[in-house]
Amino acid sequence: MDFTEQVRKRASQLIEEGTVACVIGWSAGRLKYQRTPTCADTPEQASNLVCDQHCEHALGKYVLEQKDKGRVGLVARGCESRAINRLIADRQINREDVYLIGIPCTGCTTRDGVELKRCHECQFRNPVIYDELLGEPAPEPKNDRFADVRKLEAMSREERRAFFDLMYETCIRCHACRQACPCCTCKVCFAEQEREGWQGKQFDVEQARYYGVTRSFHVADRCIECGECERVCPMGLPLMTLMHKQIKDIDELFGPYEGGGLSDEGPDALRTFKTDDIEEFM
Amino acid sequence: MLFKKSRLAEVLDATAQAMDVYVPAIVEGTSCFAPYGEDAGVTEPNFELQNTKIPPKGLLFPSTEKLYTWGKGPEGAFIESALDKPAPFVAFGVRPCDVAAIERMDQVFLTKGYIDEFYQAKREALTCVALACNRASDACFCTSMGQSPNEAPEADLLLVEGEDAFEIHPQTEKGQALADLWKPFLEEGSVDHKPVECSTQVNMEGVAQKLHGMFDSPLWDEVSTACLTCGSCTFICPTCHCFDLSQARKKEENARFRCWDSCMFKDYTLMAGNHNPREQKRNRVRQRFMHKLCFFEERYGEPLCVGCGRCLVDCPATMDITAIIDKVNAWEEKEASHV
Amino acid sequence: MNQITENTTPAVADASPASNGAAKEWQPKILAFCCNWCTYAGADLAGLNRMEYPADIRLLRVPCSGRVNPQYVLKAYQNGVDGVLVCGCHPGDCHYATGNYYAKRRMLVYKRLLEYLGLEPDRFIVRWISGSEAGKFRDTVIEATERIRELGPLSNDLPHLAPEDIPHPISAKFEWLATPKNAREGL
Repeated sequence: MDFTEQVRKRASQLIEEGTVACVIGWSAGRLKYQRTPTCADTPEQASNLVCDQHCEHALGKYVLEQKDKGRVGLVARGCESRAINRLIADRQINREDVYLIGIPCTGCTTRDGVELKRCHECQFRNPVIYDELLGEPAPEPKNDRFADVRKLEAMSREERRAFFDLMYETCIRCHACRQACPCCTCKVCFAEQEREGWQGKQFDVEQARYYGVTRSFHVADRCIECGECERVCPMGLPLMTLMHKQIKDIDELFGPYEGGGLSDEGPDALRTFKTDDIEEFM
Repeated sequence: MLFKKSRLAEVLDATAQAMDVYVPAIVEGTSCFAPYGEDAGVTEPNFELQNTKIPPKGLLFPSTEKLYTWGKGPEGAFIESALDKPAPFVAFGVRPCDVAAIERMDQVFLTKGYIDEFYQAKREALTCVALACNRASDACFCTSMGQSPNEAPEADLLLVEGEDAFEIHPQTEKGQALADLWKPFLEEGSVDHKPVECSTQVNMEGVAQKLHGMFDSPLWDEVSTACLTCGSCTFICPTCHCFDLSQARKKEENARFRCWDSCMFKDYTLMAGNHNPREQKRNRVRQRFMHKLCFFEERYGEPLCVGCGRCLVDCPATMDITAIIDKVNAWEEKEASHV
Repeated sequence: MNQITENTTPAVADASPASNGAAKEWQPKILAFCCNWCTYAGADLAGLNRMEYPADIRLLRVPCSGRVNPQYVLKAYQNGVDGVLVCGCHPGDCHYATGNYYAKRRMLVYKRLLEYLGLEPDRFIVRWISGSEAGKFRDTVIEATERIRELGPLSNDLPHLAPEDIPHPISAKFEWLATPKNAREGL
């Protein structure tokens, strides 16, 4: 996957024409495989953009910070386009605020050429919405995304408890998963409501569990399954095992759920109901 | 003086009999300084690790540290300090950058008129055994920060790894005491150690002075674009030492504790009445780099960065402190060319 | 500012056996979130009818089962409660017309999530109990209490596995620690 030249060309054109005020993409770093999200305001800056298999960061959420500049151009793969749908559905932006340069994505890799886990599990690699698409649509492998969940579900309760205790022991509560999540757009997060004191400040398993579980449930029915939370985790925790579990349950309980970013229209599964929903609390 | 690598286990066992030993190891999916010994589950230090993911700062400055407890006991109300004197312990195989980071923390907690008792108690109990690097990863840049991967002047004892032996250089009394303890395993001789160079280098010359005038520079908008304002860089940084005070209240006993905090978090500077001087991302990013490269240098004469490279590797948005230093250097030139 | 929540819910106190003293026998603590319009009235009716049920339960009145934010449940466990009941009106009977339908969906997913995380399923019970169902309220409380007495304190949920039997959460991404996989060689 290398769209560097096309992206540079289109980004420069779009900025010059005045269609967009800036283009959010990636730029190269000091090391060969280092990419970092960047916002190009001028055609010169746009000529430094890079788009290849090392561009592992999902860019969707950066739009929120740049939208004051005007219409924002965004290099959009599957995950970014779903994030944009999500942000529109959550009334964070309007569709007109963004111009999506679609990239038919074939997945990102580590520097050794191993496919990222989030790309392996990705169900929609081609952008679901875009204003233009660079190239032909990419194949959609649709690998099984629930494999980990099934493995965990098959374990005994004690094993699962041990698994997640270890996971939350390792958590350093840096909040990277929340910061990167395109569904996490609350003005004040529950973890920062100091007056209410939901979240204790001490670093231990219980507080980490409280943060992790509550965060994941907050976005359960809106998750776009981009896997960005898992990628950004500096401790490498398997956070998508939680998200996928909830998505799998929602899918089984309330009908097919293909991910929260396929359209910009609600209602989300936990923000609606049917009178004939499954009953197990009688 | 040296001891053979084959006797490393004996050396560690002998040390562990006298005091607690912490060695770099991969435990529970992360690498950190873990207690050595059969019971603790770590029987072999992992010197393959260039740096542990979790820095050794937690040995001196735990992520959550109880300060005092209070409550109503059978004999009425009580307030009790949680300060205790820890038994002597050894951190074995600390990389020179992490040793330098401990020295930076000493500056903060033990100098300029205030001594932090909690830190001091642990610091006095610590014997720091440094291990010179025998290679540098592409993220290491300690030479640019005034350190050297080959020596650790602040350590109590320096180990230099050779082909089949560790050469020892006691540098303080504590280090000498440890060397005496190891006497049965020591032999005369020296090892062949090729000095290591860092491939990543930045020019720190005058950066602090330059930054001093760049508080309102638009550079910070550019630099902060990628930042997610998560706290991972501050929590894995060996020198970041900001903390918050909080309390846990239970019916029987209430505890006041301090815990790590991060200047990247919005609530870090939140004041009563909801005013937040660092509401915006750029202000928080600026604070972090200004503190590391400018404010600390102005106060203590050295940067708060030791060039370990952890944040380079683990930043979810690949923010690169070396690239930012480069940008600061370049920025000045750009500005100068306008004049 | 932790004390605020803890002060406003005095029932939610530490019930770990250690802090209660070994001499005192362990008593379960069960927190019941009761909808003001049905279950709370049902509990009232149970009282009027002099029905007997274990005193291990603490009622917490909420305006609607839809008001029960799932994070309250987790918070209760963390503050030493051994079991949580969430009770609301029967579907279709909600005072606010739809609140319990939302609660139902939420709790269906949340209960599965907590069980997935290793909570004993019986420690978290959701029931629809109307204002006239005093008997059902009593039966539910008796059933819950008996089950939680069997299970013992919440700390009994902790795994007792040998280290080698613990499935490793980071195993999938573990290689990079041992082999130079991610950005940094050998870190």
